[in-house]
Amino acid sequence: MKTIAPMQAERLFTPFLDAVDGTLCLPASATFADIHAQAAAHRLRFPLIVDAAATLREQVAAATHAPASCRFGPYCDNLLGINWRLPSGRLVRIGERVVKTTTGYDWLRFLLHSGRRFGEPVDYVLRLRPDCGFHLEARLDGDITALRDCVRRLMHSGWMHWWDAVDFLAEGAAFSVRVAIHCPPDEAPIFAAQLSCIASETHTRLTLQDNPPPSFDGLPDVVVKTTPDRAIGLACELARDAVRCVALCYNGVVHVHLNVGEDVAERAHTLMQPHLGELHALGGDWHSRWLPATPPTVTESQWIETLEQAIHGS
Amino acid sequence: MNKSALSTQLKRLLPRGRVLDSPAQLAGYASDALGYKSYQPDAVVIPADAEELVGFMKGARQLGVPVILRGAGTSLSGGPVAAQGGVIVHTSGLKRIREINVEGFWCEVECGVGLNALDAELKPHGVFYPPDPSSGPVCTLGGNVASNAGGAHCFRYGVTSNYVLGVEVILLDGSVHRFGGPAGGRGPWREDWKRFMIGSEGTLGAFTRFWLRLLPLPEKVWTFRATYPDLRSIEAAIHALVAHSSYPAAIELLDPRGVAMVESSQMAVGLPKGSFMLLTEIDGPAALVNARVEPVAQALRQAGSSDVVFSDEDAMRQKLWKARKAAGGLLGQLSPDYVVQDAVIPKSALAEVLQLVYDEADAAGIRAVNIFHAGDGNLHPNFLFDSRVPGDLEKVEIISERLMRRVIEVGGTLSGEHGIGNDKAAYMPLVFGPDSMRLQWAVPAAFNPSHQLNPLKVFGNRRFAA
Repeated sequence: MKTIAPMQAERLFTPFLDAVDGTLCLPASATFADIHAQAAAHRLRFPLIVDAAATLREQVAAATHAPASCRFGPYCDNLLGINWRLPSGRLVRIGERVVKTTTGYDWLRFLLHSGRRFGEPVDYVLRLRPDCGFHLEARLDGDITALRDCVRRLMHSGWMHWWDAVDFLAEGAAFSVRVAIHCPPDEAPIFAAQLSCIASETHTRLTLQDNPPPSFDGLPDVVVKTTPDRAIGLACELARDAVRCVALCYNGVVHVHLNVGEDVAERAHTLMQPHLGELHALGGDWHSRWLPATPPTVTESQWIETLEQAIHGS
Repeated sequence: MNKSALSTQLKRLLPRGRVLDSPAQLAGYASDALGYKSYQPDAVVIPADAEELVGFMKGARQLGVPVILRGAGTSLSGGPVAAQGGVIVHTSGLKRIREINVEGFWCEVECGVGLNALDAELKPHGVFYPPDPSSGPVCTLGGNVASNAGGAHCFRYGVTSNYVLGVEVILLDGSVHRFGGPAGGRGPWREDWKRFMIGSEGTLGAFTRFWLRLLPLPEKVWTFRATYPDLRSIEAAIHALVAHSSYPAAIELLDPRGVAMVESSQMAVGLPKGSFMLLTEIDGPAALVNARVEPVAQALRQAGSSDVVFSDEDAMRQKLWKARKAAGGLLGQLSPDYVVQDAVIPKSALAEVLQLVYDEADAAGIRAVNIFHAGDGNLHPNFLFDSRVPGDLEKVEIISERLMRRVIEVGGTLSGEHGIGNDKAAYMPLVFGPDSMRLQWAVPAAFNPSHQLNPLKVFGNRRFAA
C-alpha cells in the first residue's frame, strides 16, 4: 500500500448540531440553557447536568458523573470529542463526532478530567438523547434500612436501565431516595405503578411529581468514587460532618456539598482522610474542584514527563 | 538470536507453561481471523498463569525480539500477529473468573477468559456484561479490552471502554500496575492511566486481569426484522429508530448483496430479493417493553416496510437473527479471502458512503457486501477477493483508501470497534495533524518506547529496533 502523506494542519471541530446522530458541538463555556436552546428544537436533550448556571467546562471539571449517569454513564461516555487548547495556545481536535472509535490512543477520556494540567477544553461534542417529553420525579422516604432496601430493589432488576437517576440524599441524619424518570407521557403510569409497588414492598413513602421544574444539585465541592454497594454507607458517614451528600447509587459516586464560607481544603482533607485506604484498595478516588490534584507518584512522574514533552513541544 | 537459542531461553522463562516452536505449531498463529496476510512468529509461549506471564515479561526485554500478546486471534485488523516476527504470547492459560460481585455490579476476570464463558457464569446471578462482538463464542476479554470491542448491542449499551473499571498491566520492565479497580476510579494515581490502556492493542503492556462493570439482565427482549425496497426507506427507518423513545438496543443492517448471499445459500430465510434487511431489538421489564412493541413496529412500517416480523419467543428471535448471523460466516465460504473495514460515519452520510462502496467495488470488479451496525453508523463493508489473483489485494487497498478518505471528509473515523492493528495503520495520517500525532506518539513513548510490544501496529512506523 502506498504511504499516505501526513496532514499539515490539525482538523478541528466547528460548531454543529447533527439532529440525525443526536450530536452537538458547542463552546465549553455553554450552559444548560445554551444546550437546551439548541437541542430542544429537535426533540433532543443532554441529560448530564449538575448545575444550571455553571458552564460545561466547570461541570466536567467538578464532577465525573451527573445523576443521569445512572442511565447514560459518566461524562466521558457522553462527550465524544473536544477542541483542546494546548499550553502553547495551539488547538488540537481530540476524539470524534461519532459514537464509536478505536482510532488511536484514548486521549479524550484521559484529558477530560485532568483539570488544566495538560491544557484546557475549548469546545465539546455532546451526545444528545431523545427527548421523550415527560419527566417524573419520585421521592421515597423512610428509615435507613427501608431506603437501602428500596435502592436495592430499584437497581437489581431490569428496571434499573430505565431510571434516569437513582440518588440517595443525605443531609445530617435525614435521608431520602430520589428517582428521576424520563419517558413518553403514556409510559408514565407504568413507571408510577412500579414505583408504588417498590414503595409498598419496602415500607417507604412515595411522592410523585409530574414534569417538575428542572432543579439541579449544584456543583459538588468534593466528589468521591467508590463501588455502588458502598456509596450509601459512605454518603451517610460523610453527611454527619458535611452539609449535604448525594450518592449516585449505580455509579458509586458521592457528591459532597459543603457549607459556603468553609475552609474547603481543610474540610475536604479531614473528611476524606479516614477513607483513603479503602478507596485506593478499591481503585476509587476523590477530588475537589477547590484543590490541586494529588501529586503524582514517582512512577507516574516519568510517564507524565514524556506526555508533557509532547504537549509542550506542540 | 537464532530460533533454537530463543526456544531455550523461553523454556527457562516458562517452566510450567508451554513453548511452541515447530512450523506446524506456529502456522496456527500466523494470521488473525481474516487470514489474507500471514506472518510466521519465531515462537509462541503459553504462560500457565498470571505469575508466569509476569516472569516472562520480566525476561522479555533481554530476549531482544518483538513480543505480541494474543487472545483467541479473532482480530479483524491484523492486531495479534507477528508483523515483525518475534514471540507471540498466547494468554489462554489466564482464564479464571476471580470474583463476581453482584451487589457492587462488578466482576474480576483474567485476560484469557472467553466472552461468552463470562456471560454464562454471570447469567445465574441476574447480571450481564454488555459488549457483544460476534466472535463472542471464542474471543477473550483480553482481546476485547485491547481492541475496545463493540458488537451489535452497542447502540444502547456502548463499547468495552464503557465497562472497564480497572486493568492490571505488566510493563516491559516487569513492573505490575493496577489502574483503577472495582470502583472504576484512578486509585492512588494522579491520572487515569487505564484510559490509555483500553484499546491500546497490545502496544503498551500485557494485561493480566480486569475489573468489569455489570448491568442487571433485561427481563424481556423483542426482536424485529423488516425489509425495505431501497436505501432511502431503510435510512428513514434507521433515523426513526435512533430517535425512538424505546431506545433500541441494536439496529443492524444487511444490504441487498448480503441478502442475496444469504438467500442463495443453505441458510436462506425467505427475504425478498433486492431488499435491505433491518434488524432491531428492544428490551426491558415486560410491563414496559410490551407497551413499546406496536410503536416500534409502526415506526418500521411508516418508513416504508410492508414486511415487519417481530417476536419475543427465543426460537423465533433466533430465526429473525439467522440471516444477520449467517452472513458473516458465508463470506468465508464464498470467497478465498475478504477484508472488512470498520469505519464510523455520521448517519446522515450513510447513503452517500454506501454508494461510494458500491461504485468503487463494482468499477474494480470486487464483490462488496455490507453487514453493519447501522444505529452507530459503524460500516462493515466486506470486500471479497482472492489473494492468489495478482492485483486483487491491491484493488481492495485502493478502494479502502478512497473509502477512508471520504469517511474522514464526512466527519467519520477509521475504526469503531476492530482497532487499527497492522491493516489500517497506513490510514492514520488521514486523521491526525502534526500536534495530535505528537500526542498519539507520546503514549507508546511513555510505556513502550522501544516498540518491542506489538510493533508495526496502530502506527505503521512503530518498528522495534533490538
